[in-house]
Amino acid sequence: MSKQEQLEAILSELKGALPELKEIIVASPDGLPVVQLGEGGIAARLAAMAATAHGLGKRIATTTHLGDLVEIVIRGNQAYFIAYAIGEKGILGLTTPAGSNLGLVRLEAQEYARKLAETL
Amino acid sequence: MEPLKLIVTGPVGAGKSTLIRTLSETEVVDTDALASEAIGKATTTVALDHGTLRLDGHLLHIFGTPGQDRFDFMWEILAEGALGVLLLVRADRPETLPAARNILDFVVSRTQVPHVVGVTHLDRPQVWRPEEVALFLGTPPERAVGFDPRDREEAVKPLVRLLELMGA
Ligand SMILES: Nc1nc2c(ncn2[C@@H]2O[C@H](COP(=O)(O)OP(=O)(O)O)[C@@H](O)[C@H]2O)c(=O)[nH]1
Ligand SMILES: [Mg+2]
Repeated sequence: MSKQEQLEAILSELKGALPELKEIIVASPDGLPVVQLGEGGIAARLAAMAATAHGLGKRIATTTHLGDLVEIVIRGNQAYFIAYAIGEKGILGLTTPAGSNLGLVRLEAQEYARKLAETL
Repeated sequence: MEPLKLIVTGPVGAGKSTLIRTLSETEVVDTDALASEAIGKATTTVALDHGTLRLDGHLLHIFGTPGQDRFDFMWEILAEGALGVLLLVRADRPETLPAARNILDFVVSRTQVPHVVGVTHLDRPQVWRPEEVALFLGTPPERAVGFDPRDREEAVKPLVRLLELMGA
């Protein structure tokens, strides 16, 4: 399996664990899409925005003495956007509807960010 | 002192982050992340740079943008409320001029405020003169300022010109 295929397989597995996820993307730290799974046709945009949100989140965390950045959460009234660093190698971003079990989504997403770090 | 908001924009590697680091009198916010493309440097701005500076009796808040057009949403966000635009262009990379023109059109059409073109890397071989850059961009030649953003005295030059144009 190529690296790309391995990454796609990991995203499919994540989607299998959390079928309610709408968009799942892996972005490079500088905002290019690496792999994506989703219907919205917004992967390229989301990859850039995930990098922006993550880069800014890191700075907000430092400036306000929050410690190391753990996650980014953007909450809309219909859904969430959540992002985690994949080590230093990229960012995992996903959207999930408002009614989701956020605790579970967080646990799974962090677990998959670790898996992705091994492959990326 | 009422702060004046200015934005520094332009293609990757033009010297936007360098300019803000050189000039800021307060701790600079920068959001550089590791570059995954070959852009001639290790990191690139993904959200914004921010610094402040007192110049000619004004307090300037300078916001730097990312350079790549995938971050055009940040150009739009940062341009909001800006009173002047400084577009940086590398004199030794004329192939980045179309991207520079695209950014200028995007930002100036939204802000309708004065702009200055700062031309960097003039110490490198095979450079375009500031007037040539201005001609390409369709900007009056007196708005093009050659300077080195690594040097403090140099770095204020395009801002002084911008303040003049803003009537500030
Ligand atoms: N030789 C030379 N190098 C420059 C000049 N201006 C900027 N640089 C270098 O070019 C790079 C520009 O990077 P940066 O400021 O991150 O560019 P940005 O992408 O516009 O933010 C830095 O390594 C600067 O030191 C210049 O006038 N001459
Ligand atoms: Mg920069």
